Amino acid sequence: MSRTTLGLWSVAALLFLVAPLGLGAFWQFIAIEALVFALYAMSFNLLLGYGGMLSFGHAAYFGLGAYGVGILMAKLSAPFWLALLAAPVVAAVGAAAVGYFSVRLTGIYFAMLTFAFQMLFFTVALKATVLTGGDDGIVGLTRPGVLVDPAVYYLFVLFITALAIGLLYRMVNSPFGQTLRAIRENARRVQHLGVHTRAHCWLTFVIAGAFAGLAGGLFALSTGSVFPGWLDWTASATPIVMVVLGGLRVFTGPIAGAFVFIGLETVISGHTEYWPLFMGVIIIALVLLLPGGILGTRSGRVGH
Amino acid sequence: MSVTDSRPGDAAAPEPLLRIEALGKRFGGLVALDNVTIRLQPGEFRAVIGPNGAGKSTLFNTLTGLHRPDLGRVFLSGTDVTGRTPHALARLGVGRTFQITSVFAALTSLENVQIALLAHSGRSWNVLASARSIQVTRARGLLDLVGLRDREDQLAGTLAHGDQKRLELAIALATEPKLLLLDEPTAGMAARERLESIALVHRIAREVGLTVIFTEHDMAVVFAVASAITVLHQGRVLAEGLPEEVRANPVVHDVYLGETTSDDAAGQERA
Repeated sequence: MSRTTLGLWSVAALLFLVAPLGLGAFWQFIAIEALVFALYAMSFNLLLGYGGMLSFGHAAYFGLGAYGVGILMAKLSAPFWLALLAAPVVAAVGAAAVGYFSVRLTGIYFAMLTFAFQMLFFTVALKATVLTGGDDGIVGLTRPGVLVDPAVYYLFVLFITALAIGLLYRMVNSPFGQTLRAIRENARRVQHLGVHTRAHCWLTFVIAGAFAGLAGGLFALSTGSVFPGWLDWTASATPIVMVVLGGLRVFTGPIAGAFVFIGLETVISGHTEYWPLFMGVIIIALVLLLPGGILGTRSGRVGH
Repeated sequence: MSVTDSRPGDAAAPEPLLRIEALGKRFGGLVALDNVTIRLQPGEFRAVIGPNGAGKSTLFNTLTGLHRPDLGRVFLSGTDVTGRTPHALARLGVGRTFQITSVFAALTSLENVQIALLAHSGRSWNVLASARSIQVTRARGLLDLVGLRDREDQLAGTLAHGDQKRLELAIALATEPKLLLLDEPTAGMAARERLESIALVHRIAREVGLTVIFTEHDMAVVFAVASAITVLHQGRVLAEGLPEEVRANPVVHDVYLGETTSDDAAGQERA
């Protein structure tokens, strides 16, 4: 890592550590949301940016993590830590089942199958009222001890997401990640080098699901609630927009995308009820002006 | 130019490296391969020729696991490998290159070769090591072998066509195959470049003791390097033998070599 990059990272780290502490509880909540969605978008980019797999159902794993936490705490009285640990596990199990079938397909067929499975999870969340609370969702989840304070929980989420993103960084630069890029470029070629490409994509799908589940769990514990809307198909579009906005060929692109997206959404929705219209226009403008994403044009092929 | 180490189909020969027994493959009503039997001795540099649609690509795709044959068996050093998957066959030592150049365009030349080395050493599942530093020396050695050492940091997609072909060869060699299948290794090249290119492959194959089977449309290329030639026609083996035997075969002349001049001209127009 060069001195400039190290400097930039230090400034960013300091900013992330200190900035939200001076803000009120509302902005701390928004900052948590941005962090959580940064992790969620990054998990999605493992599939799209690195693996070339466009999933239309990534919200399923965010939702599984969130419902995992909600059901464990609200219905089974599990402690906070156990519930949080379970979030990525539950999501990984779901992703393993869906991925097993989905990675047999590619392109639009892969997208459609992941989409169909997500609708399945959504329907279950909506109809299995005893467990999920149906349309009303699960509410009243509480955090233990000092974590009740939004500022402390922000630092907690910052620590967890930084750790998770560090793991992801390690992974995409590992032989596994390098092979995944090669599969994105030319799966058949990789096959003929002796790699079981389908198994490779399956594991990637499971890992991406686990990280999305962790994000979902963290978010459920931030809002204290879980709603079926988190599993809806529109929720799967969010990480797609964030990733494309931030730059899908840059490792940190999804972080930028998530922060810009959440920031815009928060500011604009505070001013007008037509905020989706303004969001749409701004996103279209950004995508047209910065086709490689917000970070894409500057960093070139950092994440290639 | 060079002559075979042993005649194909010689009864006294040891177990062939590749033994294809009565292979059959059909797609709907089309018979792509019909009772194809080929034996390949270690060290051979075998050309498979035939007009378009003769079954060359189907043969290659069946040998590398993309198609499952309807009939017949394939043995690799005596082991029945019929119907194995592409990655399993690759791990057993069957390497290949593609008619349409298949490099990883968004990665550098060095990374292209590194990926093949990772795959070969079974490290493609390692999620924690750093990929950048893995087997750099060996990867550079392979780039050196094909004459791309000074292009290691260039994105493969930006290399000239001939260089991409050479990179693809380095990728294939990185997996240390016992048997290498080259699907039209000189496709899209200018006439002079073709001979240089195949001479490079031929030299490397000699050096590392590789057995090669290749398809090729340019007869100058075929007769320059092939140790033996198999002629496919309408999915069948029409003739097989040393280059001079095939050249002298009147049947081959009628169905194929007779049209060489026109085919060659077409090839040069394309290039």
